[in-house]
This record gives sequence, structure tokens and C-alpha cells, in this order.
Amino acid sequence: MSDVELQLCLALPTPDITKGFNSNNYHGLGFDHLKQTSCFGDRKKRDFEQALGNFSDECNAMPLLLWSGQPNEEDDNHKYRNKRTFTIDDMNDAEEDKVVGWPPIKSWRKRTCHHHHHHERAAGNGNGNGRSIYVKVKMEGVAIARKIDMRHYHSYQHLTNSLISIFTKNKKCDEHYNARYTLTYQDKEGDWLVAGDIPWNDFITTVQRLKILRLNLQTQPQTGPE
Amino acid sequence: MQKRLAYSLPDEVLEHVFSFIQSDKDRNAVSAVCKSWYEIERWCRRKIFVGNCYAVSPGMVIRRFPEVRSVELKGKPHFADFNLVPDGWGGYVLPWIAEMAGAYPWLEAIRLKRMVVTDESLELIAKSFKNFKVLVLSSCEGFSTDGLAAIAASCKNLRELDLRESDVDDLSGHWLSNFPETYTSMVSLNISCLGSDEVSISALERLVSRCPNLRSLRLNRAVPLDKIANILRLAPQLIEFGTGAYSAELRSDVFSNLAGAFSNCKELKSLSGFWDVVPDYLPAIYSVCSRLTSLNLSYATIQSPDLLKLVSHCPSLQRLLVLDYIEDSGLEALASNCKDLQELRVFPSDPFGVEPNASLTEQGLVAVSLGCPKLQSVLYFCRRMSNAALVTIAKNRPNLTRFRLCIIEPRTADYLTLEPFDIGFGAIVEHCKDLRRLSLSGLLTDLVFEYIGTYAKKLEMLSVAFAGDSDLGLHYVLSGCKSLRKLEIRDCPFGDKALLANASKLETMRSLWMSSCSVSYGACKLLGQKMPKLNAEVIDERGPPGSRPESCPVEKLYIYRSVAGPRFDMPPFVWTMNEDSTLRLS
Repeated sequence: MSDVELQLCLALPTPDITKGFNSNNYHGLGFDHLKQTSCFGDRKKRDFEQALGNFSDECNAMPLLLWSGQPNEEDDNHKYRNKRTFTIDDMNDAEEDKVVGWPPIKSWRKRTCHHHHHHERAAGNGNGNGRSIYVKVKMEGVAIARKIDMRHYHSYQHLTNSLISIFTKNKKCDEHYNARYTLTYQDKEGDWLVAGDIPWNDFITTVQRLKILRLNLQTQPQTGPE
Repeated sequence: MQKRLAYSLPDEVLEHVFSFIQSDKDRNAVSAVCKSWYEIERWCRRKIFVGNCYAVSPGMVIRRFPEVRSVELKGKPHFADFNLVPDGWGGYVLPWIAEMAGAYPWLEAIRLKRMVVTDESLELIAKSFKNFKVLVLSSCEGFSTDGLAAIAASCKNLRELDLRESDVDDLSGHWLSNFPETYTSMVSLNISCLGSDEVSISALERLVSRCPNLRSLRLNRAVPLDKIANILRLAPQLIEFGTGAYSAELRSDVFSNLAGAFSNCKELKSLSGFWDVVPDYLPAIYSVCSRLTSLNLSYATIQSPDLLKLVSHCPSLQRLLVLDYIEDSGLEALASNCKDLQELRVFPSDPFGVEPNASLTEQGLVAVSLGCPKLQSVLYFCRRMSNAALVTIAKNRPNLTRFRLCIIEPRTADYLTLEPFDIGFGAIVEHCKDLRRLSLSGLLTDLVFEYIGTYAKKLEMLSVAFAGDSDLGLHYVLSGCKSLRKLEIRDCPFGDKALLANASKLETMRSLWMSSCSVSYGACKLLGQKMPKLNAEVIDERGPPGSRPESCPVEKLYIYRSVAGPRFDMPPFVWTMNEDSTLRLS
């Protein structure tokens, strides 16, 4: 019953957009011919204007189209679109505009944000080679991921200590009391591994993402992206 | 026989009385009383506001109001801010300046928004208006510092030069030196949008030092931190100040100099700028914080603890612009400290990131709605929201007049119930009876529009994106929102029916924008042909709409009421749907 199939990106609507159009929802219309509309159909200009010819003299006072605008009973149970019908799956692509003009932020503001990110990427922070290495860190059970610069740390211990303080900052203590966690990472090949096995310097060059998993004391932690 | 008035007031008396009537609405009402009042009023109207520069021609304005001193014009539609209006669309100010140059030699103020201003226009302004005082260019483009140099050189009585958010071709910082040594009248200078690193600091300092009435100074990013103290000492009378880049190596002498300079500014109420903030320098402003009513930290990429601390020092805050680094905890602090808060804008630090990089959720906004009884205006970017939160906000703050919510991911549902936000926004319009501006986001069905049409009787501007199911949605809004003036819609399944059924409503509005919707070329043509008081323009970069079937949806549609008829300055990708404009000047 849903009317027009919504185009999700700004690619121009395809001809099919009117195929699903169902004018049954609108009473007293007399626009049945619209149902058969397709962009490449044999539509004559005349049909459209003929139907509305009556209004030519009174258009200032009357609408150009009489439409009761009453919904059908069936329409009450709206079928919702899925929450996400397109995915942006790689955080490295995250900076690109996927939809023109969305989110609605003025270009100079975007430039300022971008400037900041690029600034951080370009400037090192003094740990030798210069370039920052940003990775996203997600902790199981915490909605908000964080971004950290691997160049800030010089050892696994340093990293894990920092992560503990970052993630327990806003959480209630008792949730994590007596819980044990393990740090996993996704390497260049896309595999998820437990952190700590390879030398630190190799680690920071291969790590793509970090995930802190809660240890179930009976079983081994599941390693995997979700 | 009709009774005649025994007397009528002499024209001069009426004119004197009218001089106390400033608002446009009231002036328009006065002019409609009778012919003689119309005549008297038009000769003494001094300020003109044209909300859409194509709604009327400069000639018409000049003919009716011959003695104007101040003109305000707006050009491009609002969605131009988000790159939805292609370059070259229009909004040129030159024709206006050219006609006003002859007709209004005593013009004092020009305020423009979203218009294309050229150096030629600026040079013409500099040459034509001997008593020119105020130039405000808001989100304008097309000019360079050469044009500004002309203004600086010629406008001896200039008081206000405000380039807020404009896109200026920054050719050289030396234009500031064009203000002659005898020039001392600057009151408000906003150059925060200037890009280059070449601002002549010494010219700036000399200018500031010889303008004793300078009250508002907004510098651009290129002005380094260590120059600020000196500038502030030259202008301790400042009420508004915008820093440049707020970063430098931490040095105690620089810090104490800066702190001393700030504390010297006893009237400072508003701060902005703060690019590239080094948190250690923030305490330099603590001495002014207790008096601050307006704080713009929306470029300050500092983290929550620093923001929280800063905000806690500002109990008089009425207006705060900030990045989402403030997080819920910072907003909770704001709610408990800043009881005078009227306006809050929270911008996303990482708008294109998939996952949040700051702990900012609906909770922060709920806290502010509860703690700040005077909160009227909200702009909030976030990644999750719930109907429960929106209902709470609505009930807490029925005095909201502007509510713009941007849930970053299109069509996001209520994270608790997975439902659309119809109920939540419904509560907003139901409780906030004075709501004038609303921007929707998240998953929304036609139901939200039914609520809006039913309750939002004072709503003047509505922005809609990725929402609704059918034409019903648009119909509810057009038929229900009595006060609607501006409607902008993108990526919604609204088509011909609602638009055509409510065509006459469009004559009561300033404008309607619809892009990536389902309005057909045929319907646009019909509107253009049948509604002579509307300009219906199709923006389509695919080529002439006539080359496609009538039922094909247009890319973008912009309809606005006009007494000037179709415009003549349309670029190749804009087509007018009005019947008699087969002529187009290319």
C-alpha cells in the first residue's frame, strides 16, 4: 500500500518511481490515468490539461486539483522503512559526503572540521615518525566508540591503561566491577586477533580497529567483529 | 449622506506619528488604511526589507518608496547553504545597487543575505552613497578584498562592516590599510570569514586604536594568539570580541598578558572565534566569563572536561554555540549553571563519521530543556533520539520558538522503541504553541505532518528531509499551517496532488523549495501557467525538462510569489514555468 518508492540517494529518480504510485488512496479524483503513468509511456500533454481545463478561469480561488485528502483506514498501519537502508561500512570512507547537503552543515563549517582532522593526521605528535595513526575503539556494552591515536602510546600496558580510563570515565563502576575484559584488534588482513602477541611496533602498523570484549569467565572470549 | 470627518490631521503630523512606527508589518498596515495615509507613509518609509530579491523589482521599490535609507535583501533559498543550489543560480545584487545609486543618494545601510556581490557592486556602493554607514554581507559570495578596499577608501562614515560567513576571495590583507588615517568611525567590524594568512596586523592595530567607538570586533583565524592582548588593550570598550586561532605554545608571560588584557575589558559580553584551541589558554578569559551572555565555541575542538569547566564559569550565558564535544555531561553542567540560557546550538564534530565520537545523546538536550527555563531556540545535531525525550522536552519547554533537530543518519528511528518520531515532534508542535521555526529529522511518516498541520498554527518556517509516505504529508502542512511562509523539502515522496490542491496557499507564502521529490514537470508547468502571482522555477541539470515526458519528476523546484514576474537572469539550468517568458537573456 505504500505509495511511492522512495529513492534513497540523490541519484535522479528512475522512471519506475511512478509505477508503484497508487491513487486509490485519494477519493473523487478521476485521475486513473496517472496509475498507468510511466516516464517513457506515450503520455500526451493534452490529457493532463484536459482534466484540469475546468479550472482555468477560477484558479485564483480554487485549487488546481480537487482532492479529498482523506486517508484510507488501511493507511493507519504505516509500514515503516528500515532504519538504515544504505550502509557506510568502512570508517575510512566516513569523511566523504554520501548524500549531497546532508547533514545540513554549512560548507565553511565542514571545512573547519575537516581542517581539524587533516591537521591531526598531518601533524605527528612527536613519537618519531610523525604521522598519527587513528583507530576506532569500541567497548562491548558501550554505545559510543572512541578514536585514539596509536602514536600516543608506547606499549600495550600504556594502551590498556589509557583505554580503561577512557571507557570507565562515564560508566557506573558497578557495571564493570569484577568484570574482566580482553583487547582484540583487527589487522591489515581483516582478521580479529587478541592483542599482545606481536611486538608493539608491528602492532601499531597493522592495527585497523580495536574492540574490548567482556570476558565470560567460563568460556573463552569470542573473537569477531560483532 | 455620508458623514465627513470634521477635520483631518495635517500631513506633517501624520508623518511624525508614523515615524514612531518601525516594524514593516505595522507600516504596511498603516499604508493600507486609506489613500492619503498610503501616500504619506510611502514618502517617510526609511527601511525596506525584501525577503526574496526576486519578489519585487528594484524599480518598483524605488517608485513606491523614494526616500529610503536602509535596504535589506535576501537572495538564494536557504538550502543553498548546503550546496543544493547550483552555482550561478542567481541572487545578484548589482542591478539593485545600480538603480539605488541613482535613486537613493542618501542610502546609509545595505544588508544582504545569500546574494552574489561583486567587486563592481562594492565599488559602486563606495562611489554612490556619501553617507554610507552599514554594510552587512551574510553568507554572500562573488567579491574579493579589492572590493573591500574600495569601501574602506571611500566610506568616511562607515560604522559597520560585517562579512559574516561570506565567501571572500582573499587577495591581500592590505585592504585594511585603505581606511585613511582620518577615518575613526568604526563601531562593528567582522572579518572572521577571511581566509588568508595575510591580515595586516599593524594596519588592524592602527585601525582599532583610532576608533574609540569600536564595540564589536571579530577577527579571522589568521590573527595569532599573541597579538590579541595588544588589540584588546587598544579597545577595552569592546562588547563583542572574536579571537583568531586560539593556540600558541604555552608561555606564562603570554598567558598573563592575555589574561590581563581580557580582564581590562569591563564591558565584554560576547566571545567567539576560538579556532584551534589550546585548552591551557582558556583560563585567560575566566575574568570575563561571569559577564558573558554569548559564547561561540563552535570551532573549538576541545574536549568535554575543558568545555564543562569553561561553561561552569559563565552563569549569565544566554547564547551558546558549541561542538558535540560538550557531551551530555557538559550540557548537564550547562543546565545547572546557566539559568538565563535562551539559545543553544550543538554542532557535530565529525558529521560524516559512522559512529559517534563524542558522548552526546538526547540526554543532554533533555537536561537543558529541564534546567533552562528561558530556552527558546535550539539547533541540535545528534545521532540518537527517542520520542520519550522529545515529549519530555516539549512539556518542559513550551516556550520554544525555534526547534531544529538533526539526527545525523537519515530515517533513524527512535532508538528505544524503533518507532518513527511522529509522536515526539507531534508533542513539540502541540505544546510549543509559539513555535515559529521547525526542522525535522529521523524516521517520520505522514502522521507527523498531520500533527504539524493541526497544531503548528504559528509556524513560519519548516524544513523537511527524508520524511513522509505520501502526498498527504504535504497536504496536511499546506492546508493546516496558517502562518507558513517558508517551506523547504528534500528527498520526500511528495508529488503533484498536494501541491496542485493547495496552489493558492503558495501565494500566501514567501517560497517553497522541493528537491528530489516526485513533482512532475507537467505539474510545475500547470502551476506556472495558472498562477500568475507565482514564479515557478525548475532547476534541472539534466537538460531541458521539455525533452523528457511531462510526468517525469523534476530535480528541484523553487516556487515563490512575486509581483515582478519571471526573472531574466536565469542560468541555463533554471527554467521558468510561467507562460509568457519565452524570452531569456543568456
